[in-house]
Amino acid sequence: MPRIIIDGRPIDCREDISVLQAALDAGGDVPHYCYHPGLSIVASCRLCLMEMKVPNPRTQEPDWSPKLLPACQTPVRDGMEVRFHSERVRENQRSCMEFFLLNHPLDCPVCDQSGECWLQDYSFKFGRAESRMIDEKCKNPKKDVGPHTLLYQDRCVMCTRCVRFTQEISGTSELCVVNRGSRCEIDAFPGKPLANPLQGNVVDLCPVGALLDKQFLFRQRVWLLTSTPSICAGCATGCAIWVDHNQGTLWRLRPRYNPGVNDWWMCDDGRFGWRYVHDGKRIAAPRVRRGSEQTTPDWAAVPQLVRFRIEEHVRRHGGATLAAVLSPFMTCEEAWLLIRVLRDKAPASTLVLGPVPTAGETRHFPVGATGNTVKFTIQAEKCPNRRGIELLLAAAGGNVLTFEQFAEQAGKGEFKGAWIVGGYPQPWVDKATAKLAAQFELLIVQDIFENDLLPGAAIVLPACAWAEREGCFVNARGLIQPFQRALNPPAGAQRDGQYLYEIAGFQGLYSGVRVRAMMAEKIPAFAQLHEPPPMPRHAH
Amino acid sequence: MAWPTIDRNQPAGDSGAAPLLSEAVREKIRSFFARYETKRAALLPALHIVQDALGHVPPQAMVEVAEVLDIAPAAVLDTASFYTHFWTHPKGAQVIVVCRGLTCEVLGGNAVLEELKRLLGIDEHGTSADGRYSLVTEDCLAGCDHGPCLLIGEKLHRRVRPEDVARILADPDNGRLAYERSTLFDAPSSAPGEPGAGNGTGGVHEKGSG
Ligand code: SF4
Ligand code: FES
Repeated sequence: MPRIIIDGRPIDCREDISVLQAALDAGGDVPHYCYHPGLSIVASCRLCLMEMKVPNPRTQEPDWSPKLLPACQTPVRDGMEVRFHSERVRENQRSCMEFFLLNHPLDCPVCDQSGECWLQDYSFKFGRAESRMIDEKCKNPKKDVGPHTLLYQDRCVMCTRCVRFTQEISGTSELCVVNRGSRCEIDAFPGKPLANPLQGNVVDLCPVGALLDKQFLFRQRVWLLTSTPSICAGCATGCAIWVDHNQGTLWRLRPRYNPGVNDWWMCDDGRFGWRYVHDGKRIAAPRVRRGSEQTTPDWAAVPQLVRFRIEEHVRRHGGATLAAVLSPFMTCEEAWLLIRVLRDKAPASTLVLGPVPTAGETRHFPVGATGNTVKFTIQAEKCPNRRGIELLLAAAGGNVLTFEQFAEQAGKGEFKGAWIVGGYPQPWVDKATAKLAAQFELLIVQDIFENDLLPGAAIVLPACAWAEREGCFVNARGLIQPFQRALNPPAGAQRDGQYLYEIAGFQGLYSGVRVRAMMAEKIPAFAQLHEPPPMPRHAH
Repeated sequence: MAWPTIDRNQPAGDSGAAPLLSEAVREKIRSFFARYETKRAALLPALHIVQDALGHVPPQAMVEVAEVLDIAPAAVLDTASFYTHFWTHPKGAQVIVVCRGLTCEVLGGNAVLEELKRLLGIDEHGTSADGRYSLVTEDCLAGCDHGPCLLIGEKLHRRVRPEDVARILADPDNGRLAYERSTLFDAPSSAPGEPGAGNGTGGVHEKGSG
């Protein structure tokens, strides 16, 4: 482990990293634009320059080199000494910041990036308050560079992070630098706009307000947003994300650093696929049917009611005629509670993994990458927790069927009652499934949107979108990733976890942590959670 | 203020037309592949070949070059736009480059530029009506010791006065470089230490603008 001295402080750092990364890891704030740990190093912004001790050619004594060196491009070497707290380094930072602002329109009041902008922060901390430029500023046109992305060229600092992302991570190379010197611009070839499914990342990568997300444009000031750590429910990759929300409304999703899973990235399907959360057509209240009469019970009465109906069914038809279809959109905790309810009342009941939605093929990036060169993967399996449900079914044992087997046996009339959990963002009930369900004497449905199962259901319970759930998902690599609840369910609804917790006979508030502790006693795997480390405080 | 947005979802005007690069041009580009480790490395020769063949490198030609080199069109645009040598729109048969460097300007470069504009009837970046000349300026033509300078094709015209401009424009050979040889080189032993051997630069000027 190399030990280097930064500003007089000895620091033990990882092998094969740059001095800049070492300084950031140690909690230092070194301004930088072009450096990003996930991209190649170009050392073009010159903001991270430092002083380094090198042997004086005359005396061979280590002395501060007369030339400033880029910290991002200088690898750590044991025993090296560098400093950032020096007048020469500060003067360079001030000059760089003045240079970056030469043509900048200073339109913070109407800029989306305002509040999370590294031009603002660095100007404040490292910049010069006044610009000496007296010439007229260049005004560059905006560019529509892709279906989700706008480029406000006049705010760009030419760090080329966005260009390198399309070259090195998505592998699609849509962006380039046109012209030269002070006329440099970021551009896409006419008719070949950003078309890759990772394009949203260039907006996160852009340290300033140049690249912007069209859907988020002018929607919220970022300082009004609360960021809750979550896991994307879009596919089995299980990207760590931030859910940015304000007063119960979701505004955007951003990737959260998660080395080895999604690193710094996420795909556009996940990023932009949350609109259904605020769909006005969501089921927002429980429903109970007796004969042709349908009522909306008080939530307080629901646990008793559900338990009673199940007990009644078991008494009449026996537990073996009962099945539960668990959705791969449930958290492990919710599934565990439901299994517990069912197996408690009817040990011979059957457990089924619900349909697993897929779309196309699993895609690897950069385009064409295989094996070690893969930097990002979008799974064809469009649900977050198939493996979690499988893990729980295996641990539960007893009668376990696939959805096809269940459909076949149900078609033969072997089941008389079922608890079916949906929660799929897309319509998922086909004619055959609806027909099957129609024959059950007791049908409990937990779902998010109206569908053909509901008319025949004795009890309908509203299901939540993932941002309203709390618990853990098991991703394609088998990592158990816990996440927090960001939003409350729509008015009138209750969280799945909460009502399942109460139906299972527990009192008080559902908490993922508490349920997980109980699960871990029976299934030790749940004691091994995958929780990514945070990014260094001043890294971006 | 009207603030335009350029739409990059729209292809450039000339796309969808018949291919611009003939098979011969493509083959000439491919013949450079053997020289380099990657096809991408043949990009600069390819741009020269295309500009020689078409006179300029329009967007459609960039797409076709990208196909031949197996790279993204954006990568071709990146390089082609970096070098002012490459034109993305049609240019005249000859390009006149006037130096706007400090020395040339002090020595009267602006008057030469104005005279060119007047005689050609165009502004900077324009092309004369007969298609013979396009006019641009550059920061330095590396002839500061003989300013004001202007470059036509391969030939650098030095110490140009406004009154020389008409003559230069009329000269059909104004863009062709006639290599000057020093007298030392031609006859090293016959004229040892002759004072006239060193004054070659003046000769260049006279022949160059004459
Ligand atoms: S658009 Fe943003 S990311 Fe791209 S070069 Fe400009 S500042 Fe950097
Ligand atoms: S030069 Fe080091 S971060 Fe840009």
